[in-house]
Amino acid sequence: MSDPRPEPEQRAPATTARFEATISPGEKRRSLEDVADLGLDRVPGPTGQVRLLITTDDLVRLVDHGYEVNVKRALPVRPLDPGLVSDDGSDKAWLEEQVRGIDRQGT
Amino acid sequence: MYRTVAQLDALTGFLAAWFPQYFLRVELPEPSVQGRPVYALRLRAGPGEGRRGVLLVGGTHARELMNPDAIVELAVDLLVSHANGTDVLYGGRTWTANEVRTILETLDLWLLPCSNPDGRHYVMTVDDLWRKNRRDNIGTTCDGVDLNRNLDLLWGVTEGQTSCSPCSDVYCGPSAFSEPETRNVKHLLDTYRIDCFADVHSYSELVLYPWGHAPTQTVDPTQRFTTLPTGTCAPIGRPGYQEYMTPQDLQRFQTVGQRIADAIAAVRGRVYTSQPGLGLYATTGTHDDYVYSRHIADSGLRKTYSYTFETGPWTGDARTSFHPADPTLIKRDAKSGMLALAQQCICAIELIGARLLGGEERISPLRRVRDALVATTEAGREWIALFERVQLPLVEIVLGDEGLSAEAAELLDLGLRMVDDEQSRLGREHIEPGLSYVRRLAEASRDERVRADLDAVRARLEQMVGLSSAEAIEEMMRRGPGGQAGTRAAE
Repeated sequence: MSDPRPEPEQRAPATTARFEATISPGEKRRSLEDVADLGLDRVPGPTGQVRLLITTDDLVRLVDHGYEVNVKRALPVRPLDPGLVSDDGSDKAWLEEQVRGIDRQGT
Repeated sequence: MYRTVAQLDALTGFLAAWFPQYFLRVELPEPSVQGRPVYALRLRAGPGEGRRGVLLVGGTHARELMNPDAIVELAVDLLVSHANGTDVLYGGRTWTANEVRTILETLDLWLLPCSNPDGRHYVMTVDDLWRKNRRDNIGTTCDGVDLNRNLDLLWGVTEGQTSCSPCSDVYCGPSAFSEPETRNVKHLLDTYRIDCFADVHSYSELVLYPWGHAPTQTVDPTQRFTTLPTGTCAPIGRPGYQEYMTPQDLQRFQTVGQRIADAIAAVRGRVYTSQPGLGLYATTGTHDDYVYSRHIADSGLRKTYSYTFETGPWTGDARTSFHPADPTLIKRDAKSGMLALAQQCICAIELIGARLLGGEERISPLRRVRDALVATTEAGREWIALFERVQLPLVEIVLGDEGLSAEAAELLDLGLRMVDDEQSRLGREHIEPGLSYVRRLAEASRDERVRADLDAVRARLEQMVGLSSAEAIEEMMRRGPGGQAGTRAAE
C-alpha cells in the first residue's frame, strides 16, 4: 500500500482562503431569488438561511449585485487535518480483525 | 478518521482477493481525469443470475469524506454477518442475520465507494473544502467540474445551483458526461441491472428523490423534461413549469424514502427528512434525477428508483459539517439507510417467480396488471402500498418454509392463469386456498401491523367470490384494502 498522504499537486490552489457567509437582500434588492444566478457554492445551513462558501472575488460580486454579506468565518485553504487521516497499518489491522475466522477462499 | 484513496482501493482489493465467493472487484473503463483507477465492488452471496441490483455511489463531491468510508464498511459488515450468521447492530436498529441473508442472496449490491478519487486526494493534500473533480479547465485559471451537475438530465440548464462558468463550484462541464468519473457511473447503469440507486452525499440529514429541477406534479404528462431544450446556459424559462411523475412512482419514492428515514431514525433518533431534491435547492444534471429519468428518455431502458442521501447534520460550521472529527455515528446512520434502500429493492413476487416458477419473466403479466391497471387509481395504489408493506416480513417466512413456498408458487400460478383468462371466475374453490394461506401467514408473523394488513386482505378476498378476474381487478381499482372507495386518478 502506498503512503497514506501522497504527494500534493504541484499547482497552487487558485485561492488562499474562502469565507463562510450568509447573505441578505440589502438595501437595493427585494429578495434572494437571483442569488443562484451567480453560481456560488451554496451549502446547507440552519433552516431558511442562504449560506455560501465564497472567495474574495465572489464577495466582490455579491456586493456589486447589491447583496449584504455577513461573513461568519474565514476558512484558509489547507489540507485535511492529518490527524483525521487513517494510517495504512491501523486500517489493515481493522479489516483483519473484522474478518477474523471467516474462510478465505481467495489468496 | 478518513481513508485515503489508496486505503479505500486496498480495502476493496483485499475483500475481492480474500472473499471471491462474496466480492467481485471491477476496474471501471475510465481512469479519473488525473489517471487514477476507479473501482466498483459487487457484493452478493449464493447462486442466481439476473438479480435485481442496487448501486451505491460515494465521494462524488470530494469534501464529503465520510461516505466512501461508510460504503466500504457496510460491505465488511454484510460480509461478516452473512459468513458468521450474526446480526448487524447499528445502535437501536438491529439488522437480523436473516434480513442480511435475504438481501445478499437476492440482490447484487454494486458499490462505487469513491467515484472521484482525484478530488478526495486533493482534499487530503491541498484543500479540504474542494468539491469538484480535478479537470483542468483549459483557457481559465479555474479547475474542476461539479460531477453532480454533469449528467444528461437537462444538462447545461442553469436552473438554481448549476452554472456554465468553469470557475463556479457548480460548473456543469463542457458537455453532458464530459467527465470520466460520470461516464463510469453511466457504464455501470448501462452494463448491469440496477433497480435502485443512491448517490451518498453530506450534509443536512436528507433523503432526496426526483425531481430536483422543478416541482413534481402527477396530473399533466405533457410537462416532461424531454420537451425542454438543454445546454442553454439559461434557466428553464417556462413560468410555472412542473415536471410530471406518475402517481405510482411518486408514491413509491415517498414510501421508500420514508422507510429509509425510519431506518436511520431507529439507530439513534436522528430525523432525516425525505423530500424531492428541489426541497434543498434547484439543480440540473444530478445523479439521482438522471438515473430515474433514463427510462423516460429511452423507453428501452429499465426504470431505476434513485435517491440522494445527505448524511450528517449541520454542526455550526461548514468545515466540521463536511468532515467531523468523529464521523462514526453518522456513518452508522448512513449504513442503516443504505441497507433500508437495498431491502426495499427486493420484490417478493419477482423472487418467488424466479425461484419457484422457473424465471422472473413468468410473472410479467402480473407486473403489467399492476402498472397498467391497479396503479392508475388511488384505491389500487393502496393495494400496492399494502403489498409493499407486508412483502418483506413475509418473504423470509415463505422462503424459509418449504410447504409455504410450494403453496405460494401454486397460488401465484393460479393468479397468472386467472390474469391470462379475464373471463375465468373466482369460485369458492379458488378463494378458499387463498384465505387459508393468508391465515397461516398471519399466524406465522409476529408483526401486528402485518397481521392487520393480512386480515384486511382476507376480508376483501371473501367478497370476491363469483367475480371474473377482470371484475376482481376492477374491484381492486375501485376499493382499497379497507373496503373504502378510492378516487380514480391519472386515468
